Amino acid sequence: MSSDKKRVCIVIPGYNEGLVIQDVVKDILKTLKKTTYTYEVVVVNDGSKDNTTDEARKGGATVIDHILNSGAGGATATGLRYAEKKGYDIAATMDADGQHSANDVIKGIDIVSSSGTDLLIGSRLINSDGMSKVKILGNKGLSVITYLLFGINSTDSQSGLRVFSRQSLERLRWKTSGYEFCSEMLWRAKQINLSIDEYPIKAIYTEYSKAKGQNNWNAINIIKSLLKRRIAELLG
Amino acid sequence: MSRYLLLLLLNLPFIFAAILSIITQYKLNKISSRRLIVQIILWVIVLAGLVFALPIYEWLFSNNLTVSEPLSLFDVVQITAIVVVFYVVNRTRAKIDTLERRLRDLHQELSIRLSDK
Repeated sequence: MSSDKKRVCIVIPGYNEGLVIQDVVKDILKTLKKTTYTYEVVVVNDGSKDNTTDEARKGGATVIDHILNSGAGGATATGLRYAEKKGYDIAATMDADGQHSANDVIKGIDIVSSSGTDLLIGSRLINSDGMSKVKILGNKGLSVITYLLFGINSTDSQSGLRVFSRQSLERLRWKTSGYEFCSEMLWRAKQINLSIDEYPIKAIYTEYSKAKGQNNWNAINIIKSLLKRRIAELLG
Repeated sequence: MSRYLLLLLLNLPFIFAAILSIITQYKLNKISSRRLIVQIILWVIVLAGLVFALPIYEWLFSNNLTVSEPLSLFDVVQITAIVVVFYVVNRTRAKIDTLERRLRDLHQELSIRLSDK
């Protein structure tokens, strides 16, 4: 199969993103139309209490409704499982708050399509212009923790923009369901010898995404959960 | 009957039950070889601690590393309770892990199937 005919699934996990999700879906669909990929945009509504489902459908996405809120890790796993079951060659995850540019997503898909990388991380920290110092500190701190716990060297272990090969879709599984899944996913990918790479992306911070984004206090919860997972793994 | 022998007799059934359960789960492919090894090491340590409780106490006492009294009946009850709790916690953790995984898979599958309708 030639690379330009590949089937691509964009997974957008979202919780209470009714205000922006329609625009995010429309934007990515508009950009995908300019490519030669066969595509589908899937929004995993993680038990939102607002109109995320309706807005995502209006934007043109397929919507998977989680009956219960299960966290970013759970919603991402559901979206990627859907992509696997539907036979997509490549899947990409992106944030629902509009902080990722559709062009960066396509760029990542192109890289995976041509290089055969199994897991590609869009790193906001290779070029962190425009990012607040607090966010840089929090994300770098978590990347250091990820390195210390799992031996994975990533400049942005918490990035939501990730591109997966077919092999990743079939083999990559993780256990945590909160935001700590970002680090655990890298660890599991390393355990099963998937190739991991990074490419620079630009994060778009609006007032909305700043308000919705994770604060550094949440990093403590993430570290706690990662430590717990690491110890559980050591004990078998 | 020696209190050390009583301690051993009271705890042996739990230790053997735990080791047997771990081996059975491994043979049924329900746990990894890593978990099998770690769990067996843990229970062998517990068993060794109980079997060699008297020589360990005597060695510690003769080297002035402890001034505590020899094993009392209350100690026997306490140590047995700790071993039982350890056994129960281990079993419960394994069951919760399995339930959590099955619930997550069910939730995922159900959500995908409902979206197809």
